[in-house]
Amino acid sequence: MGVLRGAFGRRRSQPVLPQDPVVAELVDALAPDRVRMDSAERALFAHDASVFTGGVSGPVCFVTSAAEVQAVMRIAIRHDRAIVPRGAGTGLAGGAIPLGAPIVVSTIKMNRVLEVDTVDRVAWVEPGVVNLDLTRYLRPLGYHFAPDPSSQQACTIGGNVANNSGGPHCLAYGVTSNHVVAIDVVLPSGELVTLGGVDAEPDGYDLRGAFVGGEGTLGIATRIGVRITPNPPVVRTMLVSFDSAEVAASMVGDVIAAGIVPAAMEMMDREITRAVENFVHAGYPLDAGAVLLVEVDGQDEGTRLDMERITEIAHADGARSCRLAADEEERALLWKGRKGAFGAVAQIAPAYYLHDTVVPRAALADVLRAVYEIGARHDLPVVNVFHAGDGNLHPLLLFDPREPGIMERVHEAGKDIVEVSLAAGGTLSGEHGIGVEKRDYMSMMFSDVDLEHQNRLRRAFDPACRANPGKVLPASHSCADIQALRQVPTGVWA
Amino acid sequence: MTLGIDPDELAACVQCGLCLTHCPTFRVTGDESQSPRGRIALMRAVDNDGAPLTPEIVEALDGCVVCRGCETACPSGVHYGHLIERTREALADAHRTTPWWERAGLEALAHPRLLRAGSAVLAGAQRFGLVPRRLGLPRIPLRSAPLQASGDDVYLFTGCVMDAWQRDVHRHGQAVLEAAGAGVTPTGDRVPCCGALHSHAGLGDRARALARRAIAELPGDRPILVDSAGCGAALKDYGHLLGTPEARAFSARVFDITEWVAGRMDRLVGSLPDAQPKPLDLRVAVQDPCHLRHVQRAHLPVRQVLAPFVRELVELDDDGLCCGAGGAYFVVQPELARRIRERKIGYIERAKADVVASANPGCGMHLGAGGVPTVHPMTLVARALGRA
Ligand SMILES: Cc1cc2nc3c(=O)[nH]c(=O)nc-3n(C[C@H](O)[C@H](O)[C@H](O)COP(=O)(O)OP(=O)(O)OC[C@H]3O[C@@H](n4cnc5c(N)ncnc54)[C@H](O)[C@@H]3O)c2cc1C
Ligand code: SF4
Ligand code: SF4
Repeated sequence: MGVLRGAFGRRRSQPVLPQDPVVAELVDALAPDRVRMDSAERALFAHDASVFTGGVSGPVCFVTSAAEVQAVMRIAIRHDRAIVPRGAGTGLAGGAIPLGAPIVVSTIKMNRVLEVDTVDRVAWVEPGVVNLDLTRYLRPLGYHFAPDPSSQQACTIGGNVANNSGGPHCLAYGVTSNHVVAIDVVLPSGELVTLGGVDAEPDGYDLRGAFVGGEGTLGIATRIGVRITPNPPVVRTMLVSFDSAEVAASMVGDVIAAGIVPAAMEMMDREITRAVENFVHAGYPLDAGAVLLVEVDGQDEGTRLDMERITEIAHADGARSCRLAADEEERALLWKGRKGAFGAVAQIAPAYYLHDTVVPRAALADVLRAVYEIGARHDLPVVNVFHAGDGNLHPLLLFDPREPGIMERVHEAGKDIVEVSLAAGGTLSGEHGIGVEKRDYMSMMFSDVDLEHQNRLRRAFDPACRANPGKVLPASHSCADIQALRQVPTGVWA
Repeated sequence: MTLGIDPDELAACVQCGLCLTHCPTFRVTGDESQSPRGRIALMRAVDNDGAPLTPEIVEALDGCVVCRGCETACPSGVHYGHLIERTREALADAHRTTPWWERAGLEALAHPRLLRAGSAVLAGAQRFGLVPRRLGLPRIPLRSAPLQASGDDVYLFTGCVMDAWQRDVHRHGQAVLEAAGAGVTPTGDRVPCCGALHSHAGLGDRARALARRAIAELPGDRPILVDSAGCGAALKDYGHLLGTPEARAFSARVFDITEWVAGRMDRLVGSLPDAQPKPLDLRVAVQDPCHLRHVQRAHLPVRQVLAPFVRELVELDDDGLCCGAGGAYFVVQPELARRIRERKIGYIERAKADVVASANPGCGMHLGAGGVPTVHPMTLVARALGRA
């Protein structure tokens, strides 16, 4: 039979072991087929979903346990190499892009749901579990994982924790940090520690809270205890349309001011509404200046009253129409429109740069207007679809990557959007993180003193700058000698 | 060397990664190079940046099952099927893939008599226990009576391997069509093969020749019904493959057999005594063949067709992830195919079904070899009608 198997079936290429001693040790610690070092694989792991280039990947490791992560970390220490954790690589800020040929540690094979405890309402998962896979796993038990980034079909819980990700339903439920009770972390020293715990108030400092949002610069999460949320008995969804984005923005403020916290409040502007309607035919009004998708959930009576109140506010604010989804099918169709938004822009241009800032709700309308002006100034079409409830803007700058010089224009426009958002009292990022994208804008938001304190926290976890160097903190502050990171250590990877 | 892919189609991918989890090879390997996003990036590296076709790149592109699960998952509407089709053809032309034995095997498919002779040898060998079970071949009949035409309302496309190995499925399909009041003409040797496997293997010229032959042999406007999802997808794609108005008109006549039957359920049920179907006492899990769900995008009718005839239908909770059969994939990439199947079987076990219904014989064989009892939906319906 061996003959048959040899003759039929593609020959798999044998990986060639280069002389790099790191590789030999990694292979020893893991397995030959879980360490990749060929140029094709490394070129692919030099990117994530962001528009940033310039990454250079060292060997790529596929770990399967905390012990293996520790082993990789110790090898990195021995050879004074950096490491970069990576989940699904759907990050938009370049967080998983390896700078300076570090060892890339992919958690994608650590993908087991370890334990679900419906009494404490905690699920223990490995970091490579895909967000939507977890929710699907919990469905028969009547629960879900509340943070629902638009990338949830692909992104991992480890990535969600590292980026403190959010999603449409985080308005009422809170972002990832609110749903993580404990994390096992392999520190840059190689030690394995547990941060946080299932108790409501674990003793001591909340290091769990410090780790969430650390973007891989504080260590590698190897096991995560997440809160699971019971599925609400009733969900009601309404599509409200307006003459202008300004009116829509004021309604968002009025709903919150009335003491109602909808499960989600998503806004789409005129251009994106049109593109979406052409794409999914969900019955979105083609002539509206903006639409809001408002969802409330909970008990039957409570949600009915909330929706009545929201409808009153909408009419008082001058909404053109309110359409309450009559059944689950119509509800799904309305969401399909919102979720199809990124794809729908393909009708306008082949690529997009998805931006992410937060502004105070009161400033939404003004900042939106400024964002359109920035688009016009740089000759880039811009459309907006975003989490209006928490003022989290997501302008999409549309472009054709084949146009020479286009990326400079895109980055310039991106910077201008950051500036107007900050000037309006907003923040750099709502949920996508800082990564390399906004690293150099940190000084626009924070003083040197602030940054120095952040640097001290980082160094407390990682004195040797081993974990994901070149991210989050700007060059002048930590672990980011950008010039050095652009180069590859001698004798290592080209 | 370049792959010669349409630059606009290649530019459509924004590298967002939302397709990753829908890709069976990524799910089992975790390698970016075994993912749609990675494969597209490698195609770009070759076509746009002049990267050399290293063995690793060829392996990445060759490892694709062409299940096209990435296409239905992609929000940006990337036509991955077109990209990989062009890539495979360029690689085969350059003799970087598709070795002699694979070409020889595929050539035999277009010659029904040769195929039947080979199959008879195989059937004999099976009787003497000379064919390892793990190859996953069904028990091939030593001889099977030819199908007889019963009228000229519709064609039943019979194809190559399936006609040689699983003619009973055609028989059951024909019985169901007849019960629904249609006179059926099986296409038989007139149309030896749809060319799907040739196209997957990058043998584009052969695939186009077979397409032209099928179009010439089946003129007129009679619907062409297909009980193999892979063949149906190929026949529906002739319009794109040949790009002629004639080919497009042909493709418009092609339907999966379940699509057509679903439109005539009242006739089918009405033909029964008291219009009362007697459901089989089975809990049936529906497995959607990729070429039905992701390519033809016609996977819902089978549920409508089966529902009255079985006790219970259950869904697999995996968004239609591929089972790893992929036409001839399980022969040329046995290791990946086996790992993909293991994953699928996990979902099937969770569904706790008595039997799995698959509208693609290739999936049925592959799952069967993994120990999963799998039948064609037409077989179930024919049994419930007392016609099988
Ligand atoms: C189309 C699209 C829509 C998106 N929508 C949203 C959205 O609505 N909301 C939102 O918040 N984000 C969104 N994102 C961004 C992205 O999906 C999230 O940031 C996601 O959490 C990243 O997960 P990942 O597994 O892909 O992580 P990666 O991109 O692989 O990594 C992200 C960061 O996490 C670190 N990391 C990964 N795993 C670990 C670990 N185990 N331990 C320590 N550090 C780790 C990496 O080093 C990196 O810095 C979107 C992205 C896309 C492409
Ligand atoms: S194929 Fe589609 S889903 Fe996959 S990375 Fe490209 S654009 Fe995203
Ligand atoms: S066709 Fe299937 S195997 Fe190939 S890249 Fe797409 S999802 Fe993966």
